[in-house]
Amino acid sequence: MKSQALLLLVVVLPALCAGVTGLIPYVRRRGMLAGTLSSLTVLATLVMSLVLLGRANGGEKVIVNVQWMPEAGKTLAEFGLRLDGISAPMLVVVSLVAAMVQIYSLSYLHEEPSESLGRYFTWHSLFVFSMQALVVSTNLMQLFGAWELVGLCSYLLIGYWWAKPSAGKAAVKAFWVNKFGDAAFLIAIILFHAQYKTWDIDALENQVRVTPPGALVVLLLFMGVMSKSAQFPLHVWLPDAMEGPTPVSALLHAATMVAAGVYLLVRFFPVFAANADALTVIMYIGIFTALFAALTATVQTDVKKVLAYSTCSQLGYMVAAVGAGGKLAAYFHLTTHAFFKALLFLAAGSIIHGVHSNELPAMGGLWKKMKLTTVLFGIGVLAIAGIPGFSGFFSKDLVLEQLEHHTVVWVVGLLTAGLTAYYMGKAFVLAFAGEARSDGAAHAHESGLLMTGPMVLLAVLAVVAGFFANPFARLTHLAEPGFHLTTTGILALVLALGGLGAAWLFHGPRAKDPAAVPGFLAPVDALVKAGLVDRFYEWSYRVVMLGLAKIIGWVDRYLVDGVMNLFGWVALEGGAALRVVQTGRAPDYVFAVVVGLVALMAWGYVGG
Amino acid sequence: MMPLALDILLACILLLVFVVDLLLPAEDKRGIAVVACAGALITLAASFVLDVQGTAFGGAFVNDAVALYLKRVFLAAGALGVLIGMDHADRFFPRRQGEYHLLVLSSLLGMTLLASARELIFIVVSFELMSMPLYVLAAMRKSERSAEAALKLYLVGAVSSVVTLYGLSLLFAAAGTTMLSGVTAAAKAGNPMVVPGLVITLAGLGFKIGVVPFHMWVPDTYEGAPTPFVAFLSVAPKAAGFAALIRIFIEALPGQKATWAPAVIVMCVITMVVGNVLAIPQTSVKRLLAYSGIGQMGTMLLGIGLVTPDGLGMLLFYLVAYLFTNMGAFAVASVIEDASGSDHLDAFKGLSRRNPGLAMAMLLFLLSLGGIPFVAGFWAKVGVFVAAYRAGYVWIVVLGAVLAVVSVFYYMRVARSIYMERPVAGTEGRVPMALSMKAAVTVACVGVVGVGLYPAPFVETALAAARALMG
Repeated sequence: MKSQALLLLVVVLPALCAGVTGLIPYVRRRGMLAGTLSSLTVLATLVMSLVLLGRANGGEKVIVNVQWMPEAGKTLAEFGLRLDGISAPMLVVVSLVAAMVQIYSLSYLHEEPSESLGRYFTWHSLFVFSMQALVVSTNLMQLFGAWELVGLCSYLLIGYWWAKPSAGKAAVKAFWVNKFGDAAFLIAIILFHAQYKTWDIDALENQVRVTPPGALVVLLLFMGVMSKSAQFPLHVWLPDAMEGPTPVSALLHAATMVAAGVYLLVRFFPVFAANADALTVIMYIGIFTALFAALTATVQTDVKKVLAYSTCSQLGYMVAAVGAGGKLAAYFHLTTHAFFKALLFLAAGSIIHGVHSNELPAMGGLWKKMKLTTVLFGIGVLAIAGIPGFSGFFSKDLVLEQLEHHTVVWVVGLLTAGLTAYYMGKAFVLAFAGEARSDGAAHAHESGLLMTGPMVLLAVLAVVAGFFANPFARLTHLAEPGFHLTTTGILALVLALGGLGAAWLFHGPRAKDPAAVPGFLAPVDALVKAGLVDRFYEWSYRVVMLGLAKIIGWVDRYLVDGVMNLFGWVALEGGAALRVVQTGRAPDYVFAVVVGLVALMAWGYVGG
Repeated sequence: MMPLALDILLACILLLVFVVDLLLPAEDKRGIAVVACAGALITLAASFVLDVQGTAFGGAFVNDAVALYLKRVFLAAGALGVLIGMDHADRFFPRRQGEYHLLVLSSLLGMTLLASARELIFIVVSFELMSMPLYVLAAMRKSERSAEAALKLYLVGAVSSVVTLYGLSLLFAAAGTTMLSGVTAAAKAGNPMVVPGLVITLAGLGFKIGVVPFHMWVPDTYEGAPTPFVAFLSVAPKAAGFAALIRIFIEALPGQKATWAPAVIVMCVITMVVGNVLAIPQTSVKRLLAYSGIGQMGTMLLGIGLVTPDGLGMLLFYLVAYLFTNMGAFAVASVIEDASGSDHLDAFKGLSRRNPGLAMAMLLFLLSLGGIPFVAGFWAKVGVFVAAYRAGYVWIVVLGAVLAVVSVFYYMRVARSIYMERPVAGTEGRVPMALSMKAAVTVACVGVVGVGLYPAPFVETALAAARALMG
C-alpha cells in the first residue's frame, strides 16, 4: 500500500473504531467486545506504523496536505499528514504502548460494568486518533485541535470513575491546568500567524530563520508544553491524575500524552531555537522540574504517586535537554522512557491488582507471590536508574552529556540521576523485599497472561531500545550518530549505584523501619507535606483570583451590567415594540410589506 | 442529453404519485410517500449521472453549474421533506396524504424550474408553481391554527407576488423583451425604468426568503402549519428565493450593483439583528426556530449583497449546511409536537433521559445553527463571514460574531431544557418515533457531521459554480 494511504489509515482507523464503539449501542454496552475491537484496531495501527517506520528509515518522506475548508483560490484550513524520521518513531511508540495498555486493560478492568467499559475503550480509541493526528500534523491549526482533543481524552479518562469525588476533582484540575496552558498556546499560534501569515509548520520554520520571533511568543508557546508535559509550576495536575485507572496513567500520563509537549519541542525546535533567551529559560525550567519532582518522589508512599513524580522528573530531563540544544537526546529519552515508564506503571497496576492497595508501606514480600511482576518491575527500575545494558542508561547519558556545558544544570542533572535511582530502588525494595506488611500483601497473587504479556514485551523493549541510539540518530537526523561513554556517564552510573545502595540500606529487609523516611530527607518530607505549590495555587486562587474577581465583579455589576441593562432594556423595549408590530393580523403584515416596498423605492430614487 | 431531462423526470414521478394514490386502498396509503421520496432521490441521482448541461427554449431555460447545484439542494430537501412528513401525514390526514406528497413534489418542480429560468415569464410561472402548493400545504391539518397560518402565508404571499410581477413588468418595459439578457442590455444602455423595476422586484423576493420587513408571516406560519411541512418550507422555498435573486440580480444586473447591493446589505444587517433579538424571548421552539431562521436568512443574504464569487459560493454552501441542520431541527420539533401536542420549551425538558439519541441529534442541530466547530453550520458561517471580510465589510463580521454569540445563548436555552431539566410530569417515558422519522433524523445528523468534518467537496463545487456564473 502507498505510504499516504497507510498514514491516513493510522490516523483514521482509531477514529472509526471510536465511532463504532461509541455510537453503536450494541457494541457500547458490551465492554469486552468494544475492548477487543479497540485492541485489534490499535494492533492494526501498530503494524502499519511499523511499516511506515521501516519506510521512513529507508529515507522516504511524505507530506500530504488535504484541503479542509477552501476559499476562493485559497485555503482557509488544511488537514495534513506527514511522515518523516521524526513522526515515524512517535507513531510507533503511541500505537505500541496503546496496544499493550488496551490489551492489559481487558484483564485489569474485567470486573468493571460492561457499559462503562465500552465508554472506556471509546475514549481510548479517540485518544489514539487524537495523538496520531497530533504527531502527523503539518500545520498549527490541526496541531492545536489535536492538542485540545488529547486534553479532552485525558480529562475523560482521569474521571473514568466519576462517581468517586477525588477522581472528578482530579479530572477537573487536569482540565483547568491544561486549559490554562492551551490558552497561552492558542495566543502564541495566533501571534505566530499574525507575524508570519502562515499556519504551516515547515513554512514557519523557514521564516523564523530570517526573522526570529520574540521571546514572549516562544515562551507562550512553551507554556502550552509546560501544562501538557507537567513542568513546574504547571505540574500539579499530573500526580492527581493518578486517580484514573492505572493503564490510563501508563498510556496518557507516562508514555504518550505528557510526552506530546516534548515532541512539540523537538518538532518545532527551529522556532524555539530562534530565540536563545527563551531556550535558556526552557532549560532551567526543565532541570528545576527534574530535581523538584525527584525530591518529591523520594517521600511519596503511594506507588503511583512515586511514578507520577518520576514522570515529571524525567520529562524535566527531556525539556532541559531541548533547552540545551539536545533534541536527539530529548527525543531518544522520550522513546525509551515511554517503554520503561509504561512498563513500570503496568507492573504497578499488577501489584495493585494483587494487593488491592496503592500504599508501599502496606506491601512487602511480594517477591514470593509475584515472581514475574517482580522481575518486570525490576527491569523498569534498572532502566530508569540508568544501569548499563538497560535503555535508560543510554538515553539518560545522552541527556546529561548535553548539559555538560552548563555546570550548574549538569550537577543538578547528575544529582537527579542519583535521586531517581534512590526512590525507584526504594519503591522496589518496599514492595517486593522483606515480609508482607498487610493482609492484602500476604494474599497477593500473580496476574494473568493478558496482563503479563504486554508487560513482557515492554520489558524487552525497555532493555534493548537503548542499543538503537545510533540508528535512531540516523533516522531522525536530529544529531550526528556516535554514542560513546564519557566522564558524565561514569559519574551518573556511580550516583545511580549509590542511589540503589542507599535504597537498600534505608529500606531493605534489614532496616529497622523500612517504610520510614530517612533523616536526611525529613526536610523534604516536611516541605512536600506542606504542599507549597498547591498552597500557592490556593493562595493565588483566594487572593489573586478572588481579589480580581471582586474587582471584576464590581466593574461587572456597576459598569458592564449598567451598560448591558441599558442594552437589555433597549432590546426588550425594542422587542416589545417589534412585537407590537407583530400583531398577528394579516393586514398589518401586508402593510409592513408596503412599508418595506416604499422604503426600497425611496432608496432606489435617492441611491439609484 | 436534453437539459430539461431532470425536470421532465420529476414531472413524471409527480404523475406516478398521482396514479399510485388512485391505486392504493383508502385505508393504507403509506406507499405514496415511499414513491415520492424515492422519486426525488432518483432525480437527485440522475442529476449526477445524466449530462443535462445546456440551454433550452431559446435560452429561456438554462442548466448551468449554479442551476444544477441548486436543483440538487432542492431535490435533497424534497426527499428529506417527504421522509419527515411520511409518518405525520399518515397519522393526521391519512386519506389525503397523497395530496400532501403530490403538492410537495409540485412545489419542488416549481423550484427546479426556477433555478434554470432566465426569462421573466418563466420566472413568474415557476415561482407560482412553487408557491401555490405551499399555501395548500400550510392548511393541511384543517385546524384553526393551520388555516390561519395558511391564510397569512397566502395573503402576504399574494401581495408579494403582485409586487414581484409589477417589478418584473417594469423590467420588461425597460428591455422590451422578457429575456433576462435583454434586461442586462437595457440596464447597460441606462434605461431609467430599470432601477424602479429592480427595487420593486427585490421587495417582492424579500418576502419569499423572509427578510425584514417582509418576515412577519414567518413565525405565525411556522407555528400553525404542520411541522414536517415547516421543515420543508423553512429551507427549500428560501433556497428558491435565493435562486431567483441570483438569476435576476447577480446574473442579469451586476452592473447595477451600486444601486441594489447596499440595499441588500442594509436589509441583511437589519434582518440579522431583528431575527436574533426577537428569538431571545420565544418560548415556543417553532417560533424560536422561525426567528432564528430569519437571522440565518440575513446571514445568507450577505452572500448576495457582497456580489463576489466568494460570497455567492459561500451562500450556496450555506444552503447545504442549512438544509441538513434546519430540516433536522424541525424534524425533532415535529417528533416532540406529535408526541406531546406542544412545541413549548417545556415539552423538550428532560429529552436526554427520555430519548438520548434524539436529544443528541437535536444538540447537534442546535450547535450547527449556532455555528459551533466542527459541525456544518460552523463552516457555513465562517465561509460567509470570511467572504465579507475579504470584501472589506469588517463591521459586518464583527456584528455577525456578536449576533452568533447571542444566537448561541438562545439555542443553548433549548439544549439546557433537553439536558439539564427533568421531564415535565406526564411526559416521561420514551418518545415514540416512526422508522421513517428515525431515518430522516439520522440522515440529517450524518449530513451535519459529515459536512462539518469534511466540507471541502461541497465548498469547492459551490465556489466553482459561483465562479462559472460570475466569471
